Amino acid sequence: MATLACLESALSSLRITNKPAASLPRITLRNASHQAQGRANKAKQGPGKRLGAKKTGGEYVIPGNIIFKQRGTLWFAGDNCFMGRDHTIHAGVPGYVRYYRDPARHPTRKFIGIVFQKDQSLPQPTHAARRRHLGLLAYQMPEPVVEAEIEEPLGSGLTSYQPPSAPRQPTTINLKPTTNNPQGLQLTLRPGYQYRQSNYEIGRSAERKEAAAQAKGKTTRAYNDYKPGDRFAAWRKSALRIARNNERKAMGRGNKGAKAKK
Amino acid sequence: MALDRSAGRLARCIRCTRHERTLPIRTFTTTAPSRLETQETQASSEPPPPPAGATTDAPKPRLRDPNTVSTRAAEQQLIQHQRITPVGSRRRRAAIASTSNIPFSELPYQCFQEARAVLQADRKQKLEHIRVQRERIERFKAKDVAPQDEAHKEKKVADMRRRLEEQKILADINDPVVKRKFEDGEGDLNKPIYRLLADRQWRSYRRTLLLQRITQMNVVPDVLPAIDPVVSTALSFAGKRVQHGDFVDSRMSELAPSLQIQPYDKGKRLYTVVVVNPDVPNVQKDAFDYRCHFLASNIEISPTDTRVRLGLLGEEGQVILPWLPAYGQKGAPYQRMSMFVLEQAKSEGGGEFQTIDVAAVKAGGKYTQRHGFNLRSFVDKHLLKPVGVDLFRTKWDEGTAGVMQRAGIVGWDVEFKRKRVEPLPYKRMDSVRYR
Repeated sequence: MATLACLESALSSLRITNKPAASLPRITLRNASHQAQGRANKAKQGPGKRLGAKKTGGEYVIPGNIIFKQRGTLWFAGDNCFMGRDHTIHAGVPGYVRYYRDPARHPTRKFIGIVFQKDQSLPQPTHAARRRHLGLLAYQMPEPVVEAEIEEPLGSGLTSYQPPSAPRQPTTINLKPTTNNPQGLQLTLRPGYQYRQSNYEIGRSAERKEAAAQAKGKTTRAYNDYKPGDRFAAWRKSALRIARNNERKAMGRGNKGAKAKK
Repeated sequence: MALDRSAGRLARCIRCTRHERTLPIRTFTTTAPSRLETQETQASSEPPPPPAGATTDAPKPRLRDPNTVSTRAAEQQLIQHQRITPVGSRRRRAAIASTSNIPFSELPYQCFQEARAVLQADRKQKLEHIRVQRERIERFKAKDVAPQDEAHKEKKVADMRRRLEEQKILADINDPVVKRKFEDGEGDLNKPIYRLLADRQWRSYRRTLLLQRITQMNVVPDVLPAIDPVVSTALSFAGKRVQHGDFVDSRMSELAPSLQIQPYDKGKRLYTVVVVNPDVPNVQKDAFDYRCHFLASNIEISPTDTRVRLGLLGEEGQVILPWLPAYGQKGAPYQRMSMFVLEQAKSEGGGEFQTIDVAAVKAGGKYTQRHGFNLRSFVDKHLLKPVGVDLFRTKWDEGTAGVMQRAGIVGWDVEFKRKRVEPLPYKRMDSVRYR
C-alpha cells in the first residue's frame, strides 16, 4: 500500500486532468471607460426644451400669446384658441385662460380655451348660443374719387388719360405657304407673349392637309387605306414598308462609311 | 377663363355650372312638371327666324328620343336643341334602343319570371294582410270603451294605423317596377312607397351633408338649440340652385328666392319660413346680433306641392316681414343666412293645422322688429316645430353697396377694421439675456 501511495503521489504531479490543488485567482478585465457612457442613456440627457404651461388659468392673454408648449397633444385647442404646427396652443382672442374638460366634445380630451370675462367658465352650456367676440371697429369709408372731377394741372398741356374705346385686336401673323404648310400658317398672339397656333389646330392639321389633298385628287398618305380582311394588300404594304426602311438604313450606313473614310 | 381662351372644339361638360345652363331639373312626381314646362317653353319661345339675307348652311338637327339616346353626342344634341334631359341611365337607353319593345314584366328569362311569380304571391299575401288590418281597425274603433280607457284606445288605434302603413310599404317594396319608376323620377309622392324611397335617398347622403354643414358652421346652436331635419329643402335664386352653405352674390340675393320644401309624410300641412342672420356686427357690445330677413306663416305644403316663391306670398295672410336682401358689410366676417322651416301646431281633436294670425303678430310688435329678432322665443310662443333648415352665406362684393342703397339700408359706406389690442407689458431683462 505504501508503494501505491508513493506511486500515486509521484504520478499525480504529472497528471493533466486532476483536480487542481490550488487554483490561481483569475485575472478579470476592467476598462477605464464604461460602455454605457457611449450610447445607452444619452438620448434622455440634453438641454431641457422649456415645455409646459406659459400662462396659467385665469391669466389675461392677447391674441398670439403662447399658452402651452408640448410635444404632441396633451392639451387640445378649445374655444378661441388655435394650435400651431408643433402643437403649441396659442390664444386667438384677448381674454382669460381656462383649462377644462368637455365630455360633449370628446370623452377624454383636455382643452385650453379663452373666455372674455373673468366670471365666465368653460365648457359653454350645451345648446346655448355661442359667446363670440367681434374685435372690429366701424369706420366711414372714404369718398370714392370720381375721375370727372379731377382738374387738369395748369399749364401741363397734357390731356387726361383716355381708356381705349375698343379692346385691342388680337395680333395675327400670316406665314407664307411652304411645302409643309401649303395654305400658309396663321399664328395669333397667345398669353405668355407667344405666337402660336392653338392646340386643336395643330392636332387637326394632318386631317386638314389630307382633306385639301383629296380635294385636288391626291393624297398625303404613304400607304393605301387599310382594308380589313385583304391580306394580300396588307402583305404588299408591309413589304413596301420594309423595303423603304432597308433603303433608309443603307443610305445612313453609306454616309457613316463616307465620314469614317474622311 | 381657360375655356374662353382657347376657343374651338372643347367638350362642354353637361354638368358644368360655370356656364349658364338652365336645365330642367327632374323631380319625383309622376306628372313630370319639369318636362311639361320645357314643352310649354318650347312652344312659347320659338327661336327667332334667321334674318332674310342669311344663308343657313347647318342642316336642321334631327329630333332625338330621350328614351333611346345612348351616345354622348346624341345626348348633347338632345339637351341643347330640344332642352330635354335623357331619361334613366345610358345603359338602359342603349338596351331599349337595341332591343325590341318588350315590356319589362314579359322579359323572356325563366329565372326572372319564376322570381316574379314568387314576388307576386308574396304581394297577394301582403294585400290580404292589409285588408284584414283595415277591418280590425274598423271593428276596434266601433267598440265601446269606458271613458277612463279612451286614451288607451286612441293609442292602440294609432299603433294599428302605423302597422297598416308598414304593411302598405311591405306590399310594394319588392316590386322592381316600383324601383324603376322611382329611379326614373316617375314616382307619385302621394303613394307611401315612393315617399319612403325618396326619404331613404335623401337621408343616405344629402341629409348627412346638410347636417354636417349646419353643425360645422354652428347654425345650431347659434340660432336654434337643436334641429332634426325631417323635410328636405332646395333653394334657388333667380332660377339658379344654391347648395347648402354656398356663397351667394349680393345682387343675386337681392330678390326673394324660390324654396322647394319636400315633406316625406302624407297630407297637407302649414309651414312658417323664417330667414335669420346671426352674424350682424355690434360694435358697442363687441359681439353679434340677430336680424330677421324674412318671416312668413301659413304656407301650405304637401308631398306633391312643394314649391314656394317667397316673393309671391300674400301680404295680408302670410307675410309678416317681407324679404330684405342679404348683405355683408365690408370688413365684417361672412354672414350666415339661415333659413328655417317650422311646422305649425296641430289642433287637439281634428288634426287640422292651426293658422297663425299674421295681423295679430304684426300688431303685437315684438316680432316685427328685424334687428334683435329672437327665433327661439318666436318658436316657443307659437308652438312651432323646426323640421327643415337651409343655409347660404353672403359677404361684401362689388354689388353690395348698390344693393344696400336700393333697399334703403343705412351703412353701405361703413367699413369694419380690426381693433388694436394693447400689448401686454413685459419687464425688460438685463442685456445679458438678450444677447
